Amino acid sequence: MSGKGIAQKVRDTQVWKSIFRHGPPDNARNRAAVVAGNVFLHLHPIKLKKSGVQLGYTWCMGGLTFFIFLALTVTGLLLMFYYRPTAEYAYNDIIALREHVPLGIMREIHRWGAHAMVITVWIHMFRVFMTGSYKPPREFNWGVGVILLVLTLLLSFTGYLLPWDQLAIWAITVGSGMAKATPFMGNAGPGAMLARIGDFVMVSDKNDVRFQLLGGRFVGEPALLRFYILHCVFIPLVVGVLIAVHFWRVRKDGGISAPL
Amino acid sequence: MLRELINKLSDPIISFPMMTFAFYLMLKHYKTVGTKKFAYWTIAILIPVIVWFLADPNFFSIIKTPDNIPIIILLVLVGFFTWFWLYKAALNDTRIEEGLCPIEATPEEREKVWVWPNLVYTELFAIIACTAFLIVWAIIFKAPLEESANPTWAPNPAKAPWYFLGLQEMLVYFDPWMAGVVLPGLIVAGLIAVPYIDTNPKGNGYFTFKERKMAISAFLFGWLVLWVYLIIVGVFLRGPNWTFYGPFEYWDFHKVVASFNINLSEIIWIKMLGTGLPKNLVVREIFGIILSLSYIIVIPPWAAKATKAGRKLIQDLGVTRYYIFMFLVLMMTSLPIKMILRWLFSLKYIVALPEWELNL
Amino acid sequence: MSFDSKQSLNRREFFSYLTVGWVMFTAATSGILALCFRFTYPNVNFEPEMEFVAGTPSDYPAGVDERWKNSYGVWMVKQEGKLIALSNICTHLGCIPNWLPAELKFKCPCHGSGYYMSGINFEGPTPRPLERFKVGLQPDGKIKVDKTKVYRWEKGEWDNPESFLEV
Repeated sequence: MSGKGIAQKVRDTQVWKSIFRHGPPDNARNRAAVVAGNVFLHLHPIKLKKSGVQLGYTWCMGGLTFFIFLALTVTGLLLMFYYRPTAEYAYNDIIALREHVPLGIMREIHRWGAHAMVITVWIHMFRVFMTGSYKPPREFNWGVGVILLVLTLLLSFTGYLLPWDQLAIWAITVGSGMAKATPFMGNAGPGAMLARIGDFVMVSDKNDVRFQLLGGRFVGEPALLRFYILHCVFIPLVVGVLIAVHFWRVRKDGGISAPL
Repeated sequence: MLRELINKLSDPIISFPMMTFAFYLMLKHYKTVGTKKFAYWTIAILIPVIVWFLADPNFFSIIKTPDNIPIIILLVLVGFFTWFWLYKAALNDTRIEEGLCPIEATPEEREKVWVWPNLVYTELFAIIACTAFLIVWAIIFKAPLEESANPTWAPNPAKAPWYFLGLQEMLVYFDPWMAGVVLPGLIVAGLIAVPYIDTNPKGNGYFTFKERKMAISAFLFGWLVLWVYLIIVGVFLRGPNWTFYGPFEYWDFHKVVASFNINLSEIIWIKMLGTGLPKNLVVREIFGIILSLSYIIVIPPWAAKATKAGRKLIQDLGVTRYYIFMFLVLMMTSLPIKMILRWLFSLKYIVALPEWELNL
Repeated sequence: MSFDSKQSLNRREFFSYLTVGWVMFTAATSGILALCFRFTYPNVNFEPEMEFVAGTPSDYPAGVDERWKNSYGVWMVKQEGKLIALSNICTHLGCIPNWLPAELKFKCPCHGSGYYMSGINFEGPTPRPLERFKVGLQPDGKIKVDKTKVYRWEKGEWDNPESFLEV
């Protein structure tokens, strides 16, 4: 074959050209076009200060957190094909995920990924603090990050109940037991005593925050269902929106921090 | 012999002051710690020590619990990154002392580079490495699964997920409403407030310690000593009945620990005044109430007037920032204070009002 | 200028309508949110019965009886001429303590809270004693335990005649 190679022929097809609007990123113009023209890559600026791309400065922990979040979304979605959030089936479905399903490590990836995400979020925060990156103009984005950190912990906490084993229900019993002690809003918290009219107790174990969280007075089937919905739908949605805000603000606040 | 000594030393009563002191030394001599030589020596010493620790069956049985693996990863990463920060900060601080700019501010670092390929490929490799790591981890270690849920029988010990064990450790010293609600809430609120309290414009975008000593010391103390260290205690050193067990100690379910704690009101009314507890609740707890309120209300204005550091702080921060900052710091230090009171005087509550569910 | 003030609003009227509008909007929004909040509290939940019949007082030997522990979460304790129904929920964080007959105490496995046979706390992090439930005799001489009514020691409610049975 003379003239064009196969690669070039593929690049010349109408299909290829319709997907990629520019040539290979080997010159300045195309490098700009490849980042700006791709919906996924356009999270990035086109050029960046050198300190901002070096691992020694960024530690890459924020990016890894985002990646692990995506990986958890995918693995979690796959797990939902087999898992039923009822007291009757949940535990057996978890066993089935190990024994009756091909590629029996999907749950392992999900669980270890969840732990890894907690760790990477913490270290991301550690790095951001150490480089003073919360300082103006990035104060607001630091706050968004703190809320994302809390939501990461809540995601992990709600997921902890789903296997419905001894580890799960007692960890959640202890964890939600603290909600019971919320001042004024939990039945065993300070101030709950004051909210009573004669014999009628306004904040009891049937209407406090813990009851709302668990859908019952103890960790039972309603709690399993509520945690499942919170874990699979509600918190991921909120996290997704906040991640968008977080990334948007990183760009709008001038990209990754660098000396002024 | 040595093992028994380590068992004794790791009790929070001893290990908490030791950790605090080590933390102080680390920051005081950060330029020594932040050298490659120091890191090599630490690794050279740590490896045989870790092997020796792992050789112990009791220690190994705690370590190999699947849910404890992430903590080991966390410890390795926190250790490395803390050192790495010290290393970068020491380099920059030395440059700043010599009148140079930080490394991140040098012209070659300020130079702009293309995101493709510089950043995009770094991200790709990080993703590949992370995926490979997760898959290998998932193949080697099975996710833990215990017996099916049984609401009538609690396992011993019943622990929260590991990332909450710092909070659970606080439960030893505080009631759930403090340890589980107020303090975590203040941690979150305090973190969000950080950028609005810290008005120091220096240290934005480069590693340094010298230029923001206060902010970094306060943050690192909370993160390393009050958070990570308490997680270690909660995971590795708390066994059945939430009793303390040394790293080489067998988790004996029948280990008996005398834990008769008394309240401040009992100490004062019964032991010191010899009158017995007054009937009126507020009178009974009046000393604790006065102490707690004065801790929060009296200390900040006093410090602003009487101490040199306080005067400087209120001048730098302004009144509002100063009081918010002091409130958050006082709440943070309430944990070590309560720990020390517990260890020294077996003090259970400073204010004990179970009638109102209000115990401090 | 043919400005008809009857048909169009003057400035003041416009703002008062605007205020009414915004107040109504805010009220409607908070009303909807309150309904959503109320939605999270079910009217009925399928949890174990809160009342049960627990045999006759002579069924129980002196000491702690665990026969209702797993089904209803209640220990029947006969001590010093009184029979009481003691809740088995630890007042610290809601775990289930174990009855240790050798040491004559309830010990919570989660954080090591300890209670005497009477339910009074004496060790560990728990802030207050176990709770007691209402016990009463039915006309047929059988004991009825009512878990909806709780008696707390720190409120001085253990002297209430409904909180124990004389035996």
